[in-house]
Amino acid sequence: MLTNNNSNKMFFLFILFFSTLISISSNSWFGCWIGLEINLLSFIPLISNSKNLLSVETSLKYFLTQSLASINFLFMILIKFSLLKNFNMNNIISIMMNSSLLMKMGSAPFHFWFPNIVEGLSWMNNFMLMTWQKISPMILLSYYFNKNFLIFMIIMNLIIGSLGGLNQTSLRKLLAFSSINNLGWMIFSIMISENLWLFYFLIYSMMIFMMISLFFLMNMYFMNQLFINNMNFFIKLNLLINFLSLGGLPPFMGFMPKWIIINFLLINKFYFLTFIFMMTSLIIIYYYIRIIYSSFMFNYFKMKWVNLLMKNNMSLINLSSFISISSMILSTFIFM
Amino acid sequence: MLIYDIWFLFIYMFSVGNLIFVSKNKHLLVVLLSLEFIVLSIFFFFLVLLMFIDYDMYMLMVFLVFSVCEGSLGLSILVSMIRSHGNDYFQSFSML
Repeated sequence: MLTNNNSNKMFFLFILFFSTLISISSNSWFGCWIGLEINLLSFIPLISNSKNLLSVETSLKYFLTQSLASINFLFMILIKFSLLKNFNMNNIISIMMNSSLLMKMGSAPFHFWFPNIVEGLSWMNNFMLMTWQKISPMILLSYYFNKNFLIFMIIMNLIIGSLGGLNQTSLRKLLAFSSINNLGWMIFSIMISENLWLFYFLIYSMMIFMMISLFFLMNMYFMNQLFINNMNFFIKLNLLINFLSLGGLPPFMGFMPKWIIINFLLINKFYFLTFIFMMTSLIIIYYYIRIIYSSFMFNYFKMKWVNLLMKNNMSLINLSSFISISSMILSTFIFM
Repeated sequence: MLIYDIWFLFIYMFSVGNLIFVSKNKHLLVVLLSLEFIVLSIFFFFLVLLMFIDYDMYMLMVFLVFSVCEGSLGLSILVSMIRSHGNDYFQSFSML
């Protein structure tokens, strides 16, 4: 990409959106594979737009894992087609198909590429990777999943997502492990109902959008940047609200989908799974609070080159804080 | 489906391709070649499967088009890597 202008990005973004629609609305599994391939073909030019070493290595790793996953998916589709096993969902073929879709999503135990690549992308590309790229594999997962295998994968997702983020200083990797943890919740919500998955996914992408837009405007990539510069108090407060909402604490928006999932779990007596969901959420909230606590309490250097944009226009910050705090209570007015 | 022994060939080809993909190689081009080998094995499998539906080979062509697109994308990433790193050795991956 010698001249990287916005029309290039718009073209590939359009094809990216279209590929997900192709994949989820196709009549046969082969159409799903085609959608996944077009997804890969249009996402790679979006992320490899400069010639530095980091960007090249990122796009290479992304290409290798995603192409392997989609070609394995196609082979399993052909085996399924040849053996004529269309209705039995508890066999080895569904395990293999689910594994290749989980590798596409970046879920554990196939998650090792995900923090690496998230570390190498800019914030807007990360937003695309964490939200839009997960729609198509998850909907395909809901078409043919193996319940026992997926419950095991969910447990691994939760544990790896919570324990992996404990030793991170880079904000991108932190959000990557948080994304892996939330994938565990989302895969379980697929097994409950697709409406619930859609609800969880929309709220999750809204929360991630608020956080990533904040980090993007402040141009922050590492944790020490949170308490070194002279941030306004309301920005720190917004950061607190968004982090706690992402972790799933009660008065904020992020608690609502988790509440519904836990309700389902307890009614149907999945006690061990509830325990794992709770404990891993605790670990995640611990390292969010660790970040925010430092950001509120530490002394800061007064830098001259501060991003003045945030000081002049706070309406977006205030709006996102308002939505995060009040949306759970306001939603009860809608479903009257 | 009268002959079932041919599946061993497909599964074997596919497994060998995967094995080379995940092995520790010195060059990136070997990995891309193994990807093309997996595509070839799937092409063969697809051909044999579609012969049982009275020679409707259209899907095979669509598959071929997409696989070639993917292969060319891999090669373009290889070219971009050589332009920035200078070689395609795996030892020069140290940033992430």
